[in-house]
Amino acid sequence: MDRRQFLRRSGAALAVSGASGLLAACGASSPTPAASSSGQNRTPVTITVWDYYGSSTPVKPALAGFKNRYPWITVNYQGLDWDTISTKFTVAVSSGSAPDMATLDMTWIPTYASTGLLMDLSKVSGGMLNGKPIRQQYSGGGLNAMTYQGHYVTMLFDEDCYALYYRRDLFEKKGISVPTNWSEMRAAAKALAQDTNGDGKADKYLMEIDPDTFHYASYLFQNGGAILDPANSKAVFNSPQGVQALEMYKGFLDDGTGIYWGPGQGDRIAGLNSGTVAMFEDGPYYMGIMKDGAPNLAGKWAIATAPYSRKPGSYLGGTGLSIPANAAHADAAWTLIQYLLEPRNSVGVATYSGAAPGLSAALQSPRVQKPDPYFGGQDTWKVWLPTMASATHYPYVRQWNNIDRAIADGVSAALLGKKTPQQALDDAAAQVDGRLR
Amino acid sequence: MVKAAARETTATAPRGPAAAPVMRRLRRRFRGSGSGYVLVLPAMLAAIAFLYVPMALSAYWSFTDFNGLLPPRWVGLANYRELAADPLFLQAVRNTAVFVLLAQGIGPVLGLASAALLNNKLRFRGLFRTAYFIPVMTSLVVVATIWKMLLNSNGLVNVIFGYLHLPTTSWLSNPSTALPSVIAASVWQGFGFETVIFLAAMQAIPREYYEAAMVDGANAWGRFRHVTLPGLRRTIIFVYVIGIIQASQVFDQVFVMTQGGPIESTNTVVNELINRFNSLQLGQASAIAYLLAVVLAFVSFVQIRVFERRD
Repeated sequence: MDRRQFLRRSGAALAVSGASGLLAACGASSPTPAASSSGQNRTPVTITVWDYYGSSTPVKPALAGFKNRYPWITVNYQGLDWDTISTKFTVAVSSGSAPDMATLDMTWIPTYASTGLLMDLSKVSGGMLNGKPIRQQYSGGGLNAMTYQGHYVTMLFDEDCYALYYRRDLFEKKGISVPTNWSEMRAAAKALAQDTNGDGKADKYLMEIDPDTFHYASYLFQNGGAILDPANSKAVFNSPQGVQALEMYKGFLDDGTGIYWGPGQGDRIAGLNSGTVAMFEDGPYYMGIMKDGAPNLAGKWAIATAPYSRKPGSYLGGTGLSIPANAAHADAAWTLIQYLLEPRNSVGVATYSGAAPGLSAALQSPRVQKPDPYFGGQDTWKVWLPTMASATHYPYVRQWNNIDRAIADGVSAALLGKKTPQQALDDAAAQVDGRLR
Repeated sequence: MVKAAARETTATAPRGPAAAPVMRRLRRRFRGSGSGYVLVLPAMLAAIAFLYVPMALSAYWSFTDFNGLLPPRWVGLANYRELAADPLFLQAVRNTAVFVLLAQGIGPVLGLASAALLNNKLRFRGLFRTAYFIPVMTSLVVVATIWKMLLNSNGLVNVIFGYLHLPTTSWLSNPSTALPSVIAASVWQGFGFETVIFLAAMQAIPREYYEAAMVDGANAWGRFRHVTLPGLRRTIIFVYVIGIIQASQVFDQVFVMTQGGPIESTNTVVNELINRFNSLQLGQASAIAYLLAVVLAFVSFVQIRVFERRD
């Protein structure tokens, strides 16, 4: 299950245990000088909000406090699922019936921003968020992801990047050191894998290999590669760095220490519970899923910075708070965005959704950064913080969906042995170049 | 004086030789049916607003470069030319053709066979009829989700295959088995519909025909071939016309089970249309919709003509 699948199912999946005790604390809010609205137009207004988080949303619980502080702004909250927003958003904006604010997946931002569907938030914000410059409140990677052609087009609400989840108990039992680079990671996978049915093939404690752009891009970035050239006019992921990255990723399958986790493999959580998977790479949102879906594994897993070849790297995604280009009440929508991005409300991203807040102050809050009993008392955010700082967002081009698809197809073809990594990436790059032309 | 002249002018104004009979014919045709037109007017307006206008707009968009926000830019046949040369679209066409051929090759035959069985006096006949029809009433998304679970690496299908010492695979992750797996799920879900249609048609065939055939010495196969099949001719046309149209528009199963993967091996025309739509290529998405509509209209026309000629 990747983040897309998670968001598709989030209505049922993310009931993070223990969150309920924090709800009241998060919901309570009082006016702060930074957010006071003395200069605002107080004409009653109703704004429409589209939200894809599902039952674990941090947006909806914050609305009561928002109403208390801004009684003249009524929020028409509409909970939609991930797929619905992705298909409805374009139609709504083009037909002039757009919501005033929407939660949007950061992987959609390249297409939406380059097509002009999103409002320039630099104008409506004046570069300030809750009285402080926006640039001081996010990591460098986060700021890059929020910016298109020098303008803010979204405000990062939750952040997604990949780190290594591993079976701490097995590592300790077998005396394996936590890997920091690719060769150590391959060695750790070899030491972990076990053949339990005597057929000569390892079937337990394997490294999960996902055939998607998220994972491949992370390996590519760790090897100093890039998806497109700096002008976003040509594919460069088939460079020697890109091919090495795919060869490394495929290496787990070639030596039998990895398991291909395609659409027919079922839910990952089953693989964790059965012991089939002992290492995988994913984002902070998956911590909540593990606590909910594999409570029996509490204390057995830990998280580490994803091992790398040349430099730490990960894809950067998450959720942005955006105002459509033709929103009717942009000022009121921006007021809501500011409110949601106050650190006390932004912490809700972690406490309600189990994800990582995009706002640095929320991420560094003691309510987020604390030992996690599920992960053996590890303060996992000490891993996520530097990972986010080194993460890279996808290129902002209109054709991103097609590029993502071409790369995923190429990665799948290589992992399934249909093509060599070089051949698969060259073919994908040719497709991408055709699209970019 | 002036008014009188005007009245005279109006009364004697030349209206063309055919105008009067046409008006009379129209008046005769619509006489007494005004209330009927008033009653169908809301439905007609709804159809115009929600069907014909969008269809016309979509036809226009298929000749434009349109992303849904900026004004459409006329590009003539460029979208159609690009589709004709696009390996992803051509792969989707091939996959859809395979889906239609296999699903329509197997589904109606299974439906016919099961209808023939259920047309006999069997014990628990009502139970079987209900059992065959339950998948049809079940949401396609639910059916696809169940099949996805059955077909996953640790699913029931592999457990049974393993027990029988047959080779197992990750059915939906393997490009060679993914499309047949989706077809199997679709046939299972859909053939109950064909069963019910064929069964109803079989029961409308007069018993006297069968009795006459028996008197002539026809065995069971002979009666099926020379009485049942000819009696089902129009039903077969209906089942295939509807079946081919539905199969050509396959989407839900693909979306739930494979999302078009792995490596585009299950990507279908409608899935590709949705992909283009999500990529804000509304011009190309519209062109795909029109290509599909034209092909389906042509295939349906040919089917009906062929069967009519045989009649």
